[in-house]
Amino acid sequence: MLEPSLDLYGETFERVEAVLANLLVKSHGRYALIVDRKGFVLAHQRAVWAPKPPSLDSLATLIASNHSANLAIAQLFGENAFHESVQQGTDVGTYVEELGSEALLVTVFDGSAALGKVKLFTKLAVERIRELLAEERGPAPTLNLDEGWSDGAVALMDGLFGKRTQP
Amino acid sequence: MSTINFSAREINFKIVYYGCGLSGKTTNLKQIFEHVPGESKGEMVSLQTEDERTLFFDFLPLDLGKVNGFKTRFHLYTVPGQVFYNSSRRLILRGVDGVVFVADSAPNRLRANAESLRNLRENLDEYNLTLGDLPYVIQLNKRDLPDALPVDMVRSVLDPSGTVPVFEAVAAEFQGVVEPLKAVSKLVLEKLAQKA
Ligand SMILES: Nc1nc2c(ncn2[C@@H]2O[C@H](COP(=O)(O)OP(=O)(O)OP(=O)(O)O)[C@@H](O)[C@H]2O)c(=O)[nH]1
Ligand SMILES: [Mg+2]
Repeated sequence: MLEPSLDLYGETFERVEAVLANLLVKSHGRYALIVDRKGFVLAHQRAVWAPKPPSLDSLATLIASNHSANLAIAQLFGENAFHESVQQGTDVGTYVEELGSEALLVTVFDGSAALGKVKLFTKLAVERIRELLAEERGPAPTLNLDEGWSDGAVALMDGLFGKRTQP
Repeated sequence: MSTINFSAREINFKIVYYGCGLSGKTTNLKQIFEHVPGESKGEMVSLQTEDERTLFFDFLPLDLGKVNGFKTRFHLYTVPGQVFYNSSRRLILRGVDGVVFVADSAPNRLRANAESLRNLRENLDEYNLTLGDLPYVIQLNKRDLPDALPVDMVRSVLDPSGTVPVFEAVAAEFQGVVEPLKAVSKLVLEKLAQKA
């Protein structure tokens, strides 16, 4: 498989969500997201007090691409990776940690959080999530994609743009 | 490799628009963004230079709706076509599920098209992929140019075996934009259904 994706399903998924929620409480972060290297959101949590987040799709895509660009820069200099990935603005910042080779954990914080705490609790959350993923679990669910499935998807595709043929 | 998120019940695909500089990749995404109803699309993100050349990528998420209980989503990306942005192009190809190759019909771009295709092959090779493995279609853009090359001529250069679906387009006028996207999406969906 080209891009191993993080196996989040069933009970593990709920426990990972709980780890993210706890990370937000402890660090006073706004949002915590697990993003795969392709830029898809795998799981996310928002602090109860936090304002509505911007588009998570855009955020995840930019975080993942930025991370891969930084990795490429580090490798230009013979480094494996840069150790720290913090971005800080006047009001809001992001902190990114690798979660294995497949995914990233991102904490978005504001001035009400201390950067040191954000880093510490994000690192602890990464460790905890790795433990959860390493535990014995039931088999991954399988997709049941019968023949009707791609037809159904194609029909939705037609609906999206309205039926049209090559001019 | 499509991302299947069982807990959120989502299937996500990544489609990349590839091709030489100024062939019309960004124009495709802008047109799709304009013509898809609001609830089915997310924000479009463009990382570009001041003169509107793509610097890193354009990004547009599309939401198909639910199939068999799974929310099915496409993430569309363009790469920067200018030759010297190759490291960015390679990064964008990571995890690609399907490619639309946007070719320019202008006579003086025939060579640039061919070079871009060769560059695509090389970059896919870095991920141990070949164009043969990947859902892939060609869009022959700028058919409105008065000196546009004949379709067969461009095809004989880009697809000598004649096996890849080719779509004529005037992307700037939203002609031939939907068809290649639908065709590549269909190939991607069928591939996933075969594997399951
Ligand atoms: N005549 C004509 N011009 C087009 C068509 N589609 C796009 N263009 C024009 O071609 C130019 C380049 O289009 P872009 O979509 O920015 O090209 P691109 O492939 O994204 O270029 P890079 O980002 O540099 O790789 C713009 O001026 C467009 O208006 C078309 O169908 N016909
Ligand atoms: Mg562009």
